[in-house]
Amino acid sequence: MDFAYTAEQEKLREEVRGFIKANVTPELLHEADAEASTTPDRPRGMSPKAAALYKKIYDRGWLGITYPKEYGGQGGDRLTQYIVEEEFTRAGINISLGGSGAPAIMAAGTEEQKKYYIPGLIKREITFALGFTEPHAGADLANLRCSAVEDGDYYVINGQKMYTSAAHFATHIYLMARTDRNAPKHEGISIFLFPMDTPGITVRPLWTIQNNPTAPVGTTYGNSRTNETFFDNVRIHKSCLLGEKNKGWRVGSMGLNLDRVGASRYLISVRRDEDIVNFVKSNNFDGFEPGKSPAIRDKIAEMWIEAQVCRLMTMRSMSIVERGGKFTYEGSAEKVWAPEHGVRVTEAITQMLGPYATLLRTSKHALMDGVFGHNVMGSFQSGINHGSVQVMRDQVARRGLELPSSRRSKTGEAK
Amino acid sequence: MAKCPVCKGDVNEDAAKAQTGMTSGGAKEVDPTMGTRQFHDGTWYYFDTLECRNKFTRNPDGYLQGSA
Repeated sequence: MDFAYTAEQEKLREEVRGFIKANVTPELLHEADAEASTTPDRPRGMSPKAAALYKKIYDRGWLGITYPKEYGGQGGDRLTQYIVEEEFTRAGINISLGGSGAPAIMAAGTEEQKKYYIPGLIKREITFALGFTEPHAGADLANLRCSAVEDGDYYVINGQKMYTSAAHFATHIYLMARTDRNAPKHEGISIFLFPMDTPGITVRPLWTIQNNPTAPVGTTYGNSRTNETFFDNVRIHKSCLLGEKNKGWRVGSMGLNLDRVGASRYLISVRRDEDIVNFVKSNNFDGFEPGKSPAIRDKIAEMWIEAQVCRLMTMRSMSIVERGGKFTYEGSAEKVWAPEHGVRVTEAITQMLGPYATLLRTSKHALMDGVFGHNVMGSFQSGINHGSVQVMRDQVARRGLELPSSRRSKTGEAK
Repeated sequence: MAKCPVCKGDVNEDAAKAQTGMTSGGAKEVDPTMGTRQFHDGTWYYFDTLECRNKFTRNPDGYLQGSA
């Protein structure tokens, strides 16, 4: 099997690179990134310049490539999406549709929901905050307690969500809530989509470790802000329900699994390899060229080989999804390997560069605008976010290897 | 005024919920220094800090029954 790109695909890659070179400046990158990294001294929402950039990308047909044309997409294949997304992600521009909401809507949404949300997400007129995690329900997400109670044609939502990282700039929330308190914990859960300006929603900022100083663009989990979001008697129409009532666990899990496939996730970890390769190729310290050190060359080669495994796993997942095959544990396997590789390569960089690799961008001695130091703080997060590596291993064991579940019934028997 | 179930300090519920800004999506935003809260068994409990809230999350019944 040949994983090389065709001449046409290479041409597309060059076209995207040319576009980025002509249109993306460091100032624009900062503005585009401000959407996700708002701090008290930085603006909220997308700036007019960043919006104009996304309009240009949209006009080129590079947003929503894999989504059907009737919903505003391009009807293209995943490899094309991968090539375009890889180049933009590497340049620090996020062109994904913002997480697991879009694939979940395509799989479980009504025609009305698809026609409303998918074009809006592609044009970036709609942005979702992911409302899954709660203070006591993170890795064990099914323990969630935020409730949605039926009241005529409406649901009334009460509860709270943690780490709703996009809540301060999102237009809508993609929320998982309990609709049957008496059902087993993985059942009785439903998913809702509704606007953030619905009365009763409150957002409380949580400043992250990357807040002061703010991390440079391209840092692994460099966002300076996340949020907790509260719901006090939030009243939403029943048409906000995504999929069937009480069947939301399956929809949410499937959306998360599909969101793990693609260039953005792959590059979260592998970009660190690219950083160090580029650094040792182009730097020397008073005559010492790190690229000529046998120990450094050996370590970088070892990490690069691991990085290629990340790429192959991503390609395999894309191939399965593209063919409409059964996609069960593959995304979970990737979600173990790639984040743990990201941590290993970050640690390897600190060994290669010593204390310089831990300096943040405010230090005059920081290397590459402090990205190595900020990555030390952010890389570990990728093993926790969007399904911890422990939970992912459990999914590989159950779905991939068909081992018995470690969950136990109320009588203590394994399920 | 509410009592933090963990440190027993006073928490002003109104201040914790008072709007100090608005997100770009139109949601109410509050001052994070005024405390936080947790929805537990149908009731909102108020905490002066996230640290207290985290302790409560690990052992809510212990704090509510005074055995923590």
